[in-house]
Amino acid sequence: MRNLITIGRSRCAAMALLGGLLAIVPAGCSQPTDLPASVAQAALSEAVFTEASPGPEPAPDVPVTSCDGERTVTVAADLTGRELADALMDQWKRDHPGRDWVAEEKARHAMKPPADNSALLQGDQGKGHPYGNFTQRDLEQWARETEKLVAEGSRVFHDAKALGGTVGVSCDMCHPHAANTHPETYPKFQTQLGRVALLRDMIDWCIEHPVRGKHLGADDPRMRALEAYIMAQRSGVAMHYGKH
Amino acid sequence: MSRSMVSRGGLRLALAGAGLLAAVVLSRPSVAAGQPPDVPRAKHGAASMEHQLQLLAKITPEVDAAKAPAGLDPAIWAAFIPKDNALTADRVALGRKLYFDARLSEDGSVSCATCHDVTRGFTDQRPVSEGIAEQLGKRNAPTTLNVALLQTLFWDGRSPTLEHQAKAPILNPVEMGMPDEAAAVKAIRGDPEYQEAFRRAYGRDVNYEDVGRAIAAFERTLVFVDSPFRRFAAGDAKAISPEAKAGWDLFNGKARCVTCHPMNPSNPLGTDNRFHNVGVSARHRDFESLARRAIQALEKDPSEKGLDELAVGSDLSELGRFMVTRNRADVGAFRTPLLLNVGVTPPYMHDGSLPTLWDVMDHYNKGGEANPFLDGGMEPLALSEEEIGQVVAFLFALSDDRLAGESQRQLTVQRAAAGKQRPFRDEQVALRRKLLFEGRVMDRGGPGK
Amino acid sequence: MATQKCAETKYLQGRREFFRGLKNLDRRSFLRVSAAAAGAAVASGVAPCRSFLPVTLAQAADPDARKQSFRFAYISDSHLYERSLNDRFVNAILRAVDDVNHMDPQPDFVFYGGDLAQLGQAKELELGAQILKELKAPLKVMVGEHDWYFDMGEKWRELFGKPTYSWDHKGIHFVVLNSVVERDFWTARGLTPMERMLTVAGLDNGLQSPFSVGEPQRTWLAADLAALAEDAPIVVFSHSPLYKLYRAWNFWTDDAEQVQAILKRFKQVVVIHGHTHQLLTNRIGNIHFHGMLSTAWPWPYAPEGMPELTIQMSRPDPFNPNDGCGNGEVRVHPDGLVDKVYNLWNRNPVTVGRNYTSTWGKQGIPPRPNRPSY
Repeated sequence: MRNLITIGRSRCAAMALLGGLLAIVPAGCSQPTDLPASVAQAALSEAVFTEASPGPEPAPDVPVTSCDGERTVTVAADLTGRELADALMDQWKRDHPGRDWVAEEKARHAMKPPADNSALLQGDQGKGHPYGNFTQRDLEQWARETEKLVAEGSRVFHDAKALGGTVGVSCDMCHPHAANTHPETYPKFQTQLGRVALLRDMIDWCIEHPVRGKHLGADDPRMRALEAYIMAQRSGVAMHYGKH
Repeated sequence: MSRSMVSRGGLRLALAGAGLLAAVVLSRPSVAAGQPPDVPRAKHGAASMEHQLQLLAKITPEVDAAKAPAGLDPAIWAAFIPKDNALTADRVALGRKLYFDARLSEDGSVSCATCHDVTRGFTDQRPVSEGIAEQLGKRNAPTTLNVALLQTLFWDGRSPTLEHQAKAPILNPVEMGMPDEAAAVKAIRGDPEYQEAFRRAYGRDVNYEDVGRAIAAFERTLVFVDSPFRRFAAGDAKAISPEAKAGWDLFNGKARCVTCHPMNPSNPLGTDNRFHNVGVSARHRDFESLARRAIQALEKDPSEKGLDELAVGSDLSELGRFMVTRNRADVGAFRTPLLLNVGVTPPYMHDGSLPTLWDVMDHYNKGGEANPFLDGGMEPLALSEEEIGQVVAFLFALSDDRLAGESQRQLTVQRAAAGKQRPFRDEQVALRRKLLFEGRVMDRGGPGK
Repeated sequence: MATQKCAETKYLQGRREFFRGLKNLDRRSFLRVSAAAAGAAVASGVAPCRSFLPVTLAQAADPDARKQSFRFAYISDSHLYERSLNDRFVNAILRAVDDVNHMDPQPDFVFYGGDLAQLGQAKELELGAQILKELKAPLKVMVGEHDWYFDMGEKWRELFGKPTYSWDHKGIHFVVLNSVVERDFWTARGLTPMERMLTVAGLDNGLQSPFSVGEPQRTWLAADLAALAEDAPIVVFSHSPLYKLYRAWNFWTDDAEQVQAILKRFKQVVVIHGHTHQLLTNRIGNIHFHGMLSTAWPWPYAPEGMPELTIQMSRPDPFNPNDGCGNGEVRVHPDGLVDKVYNLWNRNPVTVGRNYTSTWGKQGIPPRPNRPSY
């Protein structure tokens, strides 16, 4: 630091980066309390807290009032940014031996901890972000809705008429508890369907042929319910798409 | 038939029966009779070789042997070509020469092109094929169109490769009738053109293995997949008629064709390459007793010899795939034929017994013919006449553009024939008023009893 | 059929005469007499108890009898609706009847394994009875739950007689049980007959009671078998499996252990059951269990409780409605063990031979399919 100050700006390419930070500090910084909070924060950033060792007297050129408002220092006219701040800090340290400017500033701007309101919080509230904090009650409500659709699917699965079938055949006759439906193997190319089939394509095929009803289509609420039931019955089985 | 049975009365009866049968057969308007007009004819009803070659040149302009045919996945195509028979122009030329060469037959009258005639859908449009000395075989000649894309050859799938298949008819006594491989080679070895061609193609002297290879190489150039349907499948909604579109929906749905004839991007041929008993054999009078004897022979003596003994004096052709696999499940089962260009390859089924596509639809509409080995996928379909017409329209949309003329002619001829009679139709069974097996069980005393 | 008492009297009378004649005969005449006695007993329609003739004599009397095996065919689980509702199931049972009628030579009899109707309706049972009448060979039937729980067996009894019975054929003792007896679950719930039937028809609803044979039938069975020697050949027909496979689908007989205990004293017993619609083989102690195929549809294998001896058939192809269905036949050997043949439509038949179950699966292993069963 010292060398840079005496030599001047010519070697200070890297320092210019940090200097950008300090450039927002007005050159003749007077009362710290007049600074906007964001600026004060910036001034308190770690980069600034790194102490610069005192160096030799700067070349007098421009009068600068130090931040405590007590002292005026004259510095070389071409000093900017970090070099200027260091020069001022050097002067302050010479004027106030034994005092720790960093610690004093921290103490002055420290915030009081908030009051303890943990009695008002339940479970994990207060941790993490608001949208992800669902409660046990939320989970129960959502599970209930899911089970309603699964139950509806079970109802349709077991009812030939509800499926739109015309031959008295319901899914459970060949697939008790949705056994042998293996939804975890979709998507897979099914040559008799002429394309890569999803579970709903196979359901529709079954409804057309063994059940002898009309295709439901993907958006039919019965199709959605059937898929829900079938997948619920195979919960925990590893996905293995394409398996024939 | 033992001697003692040939009494005069018996002979008269047999002749009368045969006459009746002939009368029935001849009275049916033969679609084959309506062959392409104005075509110079060779032996056995084929078009002359010169005429065929001319037509072939017109519809298959120079084929780049090194590249996959247009529209086929090159990776899939490469999988179909065996390592020892890579496709080159020389091999194709040699194969073409052999395909049209009647010298490979015992009496010089039959070449591959006799029964796989370029002017007749690359088949012969006859129920069964006619070989040397006017002998009739037992099976309908499959088309050589797109034959390169099949997984097994012959109606019973006994040939695993084109190379293997090409060598077989040459030695078959009712087809080309050469006594052995040496005789076949001898027939062409003396020809300097052949000597030159074999050396250019395979770097070897004329030999029988390479005959099969060369013919296979030529057949691999007969890829005809550019049909109106293909354009429709690629996105051109106007490529096929609304009737054909309805037929395509039925094909995938109510008519259940797609169960055995899948047509999709990875398999555009319309065959699952498997073997199914759809009941055509059951129409043959002695099929069931033949099947029973075959199974008993299998249970008693599963060796080659056991079945060979059964072969003496009986027509085993109707047993189909069973003769290859000896699986009881394969009795009377034949390979699903491919559907591309099906419009130009009448008559249909392994014995050519269904003259038109309308007859084919009638057969399937009633669930085929009940027999103990009937494929479980066969069911009465309850298709209306309009729906049948729609599926037929779709099937004719599978004809390659280069064969459009013949396809259009067939459509006219077949429609006229189907308009006159539909002998395979059974509305009672098709509409499920009478069940498939009901007749066999409830009206005992009928066929199969 | 002669009742138990009359047969016994006849046996004892014949026995007395037999031994009276023994005293003064040389060996050749002795054999002639014993053969004649055996012949007379058979001709009178009363199958001779083996214990009636001294064992060595029985062998000498008819040396070929021990080697003689015979076969019967089976058709099972047709689940018929009226044909106006569902013709596919009707066609399937017709196909099975056609298959059996074409067997050459004809089987000794045809056994129907239960669940002839789907919802126990009179019309369904009558349709089934009418079709089964077309069988050329004699018919024996067994009841299933689908036949019973609409009217508690009223129509069944009218058409087919008692659900529990036994008979002897060529030295084999056959028993037919009604093994789908359920504890009353319908009265408390106030179910109508149709609701009761629909509950029973739903395999996986868990509302019905498990199947059982029940105490009255167990008593009957013990009495029926009481007179038989330990090496007597016995085949028991039962709709439910007579062991505990999978409770959730009622592949289960609740008092299986008690039934098996009654059968325990015999050297070997064969149980042939329906209800499971699949290829199924098991052995528990001295009992060899074989399942029958359904003509209507196949069932997946249970996720747990599968017997080790069963070599599962591969998953049926849904695109072939017949796949996994069929009928079959059973070849019965004189010692009572059987070769069970599954005539699967569109597949090669599978034979589970006597030496497979008698060697606990070490020999005669049926072929394993090359596709998964799921």
